[in-house]
Amino acid sequence: MRWFDDFIERKTREVAQLTSRRSAMLKVGRLLVGAGMLLPILPFDRQPQAAPGGHGGEAATAGHGGHGGGGLGDPNDDTTCEYWRYCALDGFLCTCCGGSISECPGGTEVSKVTWIGTCQNPNDGKAYLISYNDCCGITACGRCMCNYNIGERPAYRMGVHNDVNWCMGNKANSYHCTVAVALGIAEAREPTA
Amino acid sequence: MAESRGEMMRIWRKGAAAAAMLLMGNVHAADFVAEQVTIGKLPPANPARMYVSDVAISHIVDGRMHIVDGETLKYQGVVGTGFTGLATLSPDRSEIYVATTYLSRLNRGERTDTLDIYDSTTLNLKEEIIIPPKHAQALPYKGVIAVTGDGRFVVVQNATPASSLAVIDRKASKYVTEIPTPGCWSILMAQTSQRRFTTVCGDGTLLTITLDEQGMPADQQRSERLFDPDKNPVFTQTENEGDEYLFLGFYGDILSANLGGAKAVIGDSWSLLDEKDRKEGWRPGGYQPFAWHPASKRLYVAVHPAGVEGSHKNPAAEVWAFDTQSRKRVARVPGENTVALAVSREDKPRLFGIDPLTAGLLRYETVPTLKFVQRQDGFGEAPILIEMH
Repeated sequence: MRWFDDFIERKTREVAQLTSRRSAMLKVGRLLVGAGMLLPILPFDRQPQAAPGGHGGEAATAGHGGHGGGGLGDPNDDTTCEYWRYCALDGFLCTCCGGSISECPGGTEVSKVTWIGTCQNPNDGKAYLISYNDCCGITACGRCMCNYNIGERPAYRMGVHNDVNWCMGNKANSYHCTVAVALGIAEAREPTA
Repeated sequence: MAESRGEMMRIWRKGAAAAAMLLMGNVHAADFVAEQVTIGKLPPANPARMYVSDVAISHIVDGRMHIVDGETLKYQGVVGTGFTGLATLSPDRSEIYVATTYLSRLNRGERTDTLDIYDSTTLNLKEEIIIPPKHAQALPYKGVIAVTGDGRFVVVQNATPASSLAVIDRKASKYVTEIPTPGCWSILMAQTSQRRFTTVCGDGTLLTITLDEQGMPADQQRSERLFDPDKNPVFTQTENEGDEYLFLGFYGDILSANLGGAKAVIGDSWSLLDEKDRKEGWRPGGYQPFAWHPASKRLYVAVHPAGVEGSHKNPAAEVWAFDTQSRKRVARVPGENTVALAVSREDKPRLFGIDPLTAGLLRYETVPTLKFVQRQDGFGEAPILIEMH
């Protein structure tokens, strides 16, 4: 879609302009992980073992809505919420629903419009532009619910908003799950000026 | 076939009656009055009645609104809100409006969007108005559906993802028009004008739209910049007293604007945080992160420490109370993981919250001082918004 292409280009430029600020933010995130603190608790996580009184970032993220397990997930395991590309993903992981990081499960169709995140890959230290495509047209997957919001903003900034159904632009607009496709390296597009 | 089905039913009934006689055994008929199934009546609403929107994401085509008595946290009933239903009440609280989607084959098929109208005293469906299939399939944030002060027009947020607003004439039971609002989101009703509302735009300005008597847009005016979306974004939720609206910044600022006129007028702003709070990284968070009770000049905010980029929806570690006159914090209490706050409109207001970890509802007393008093878990699956009666 032309609209989409334009949007991506504009978004990429914005990201480039924001890179230094974002890098600072990402450093903060990395420090938190390094210090053994947990990333933000999932608003829809219903596991009862979450710390009572919930001191925000200290509350447990174990067992994210359906795939069990405990503690902080592996940033290189794309079936856990802590996989590095999921830094602004809100939804069910397609990797738990029969799809992969870039494939919608069989029987679905790919959303025509998406929201965008900028996530740091811990393996090379680079920030990547991530497109979160919803997979659409069949019943909700219901597995591996994740909710991270780095760079996410309210719907007055629709392109970076994750609280809408991004299947809305499809004729088959029921929501099933979400993939996280790497579109490019954010720093690579930083203006030289 | 019909005859034989009728015969089958008669035989079944006889059998059931015989079985019932056997089960009753030696109970004397005189000792027992058989019960009859009736439809219960909701107790009359009190100011603490809560309408809790639940997106039910694991079966998102089947969302709900839970009706709960806030005095006891007792469940009173449910309204089905369809696929990403956006709900609110009429200004007189007699009706519940739900803008939603129904697909003809549950998860597939033709999309029909409706404005469903329920009687808030019985929870019966009164009416449905078909609207264009564009209502925002979004989480039910406060302000994505709103009603003019006189109850005449219901305004619904659309997203395709291009943003627009749908205007529905409640009195005439008909859809009126679509107003494009590119780059803007949510509907903040003016209270001194019955035909005016404002939407928050991605450049930090406020766009005020005035309707004519038929519900068509007659005027649109953009304000000065309220906020810098890059440096200091505001949450979607707002609180108001009349035309005076308060906005909450991601980093702890309270911003204000008067939305009564044809063009919104930006007011002053202040910070909830002192130097120590800032050092500790306290920030607001959640889906409905603050509540204002203007009569008692109290503002309640859900906050978490060590805030970082992306923590703006985090459950609260604490709830803070502020005096809006002195702009000083007057209480801090456990946050109970709340992601929502709503305060009842009464002399001794009660504050309510949602713990999404347990689908729990939380009750705080505010008089004489803010105090957490009750939790009840298990209200649906993903409740995120509270509207008070």
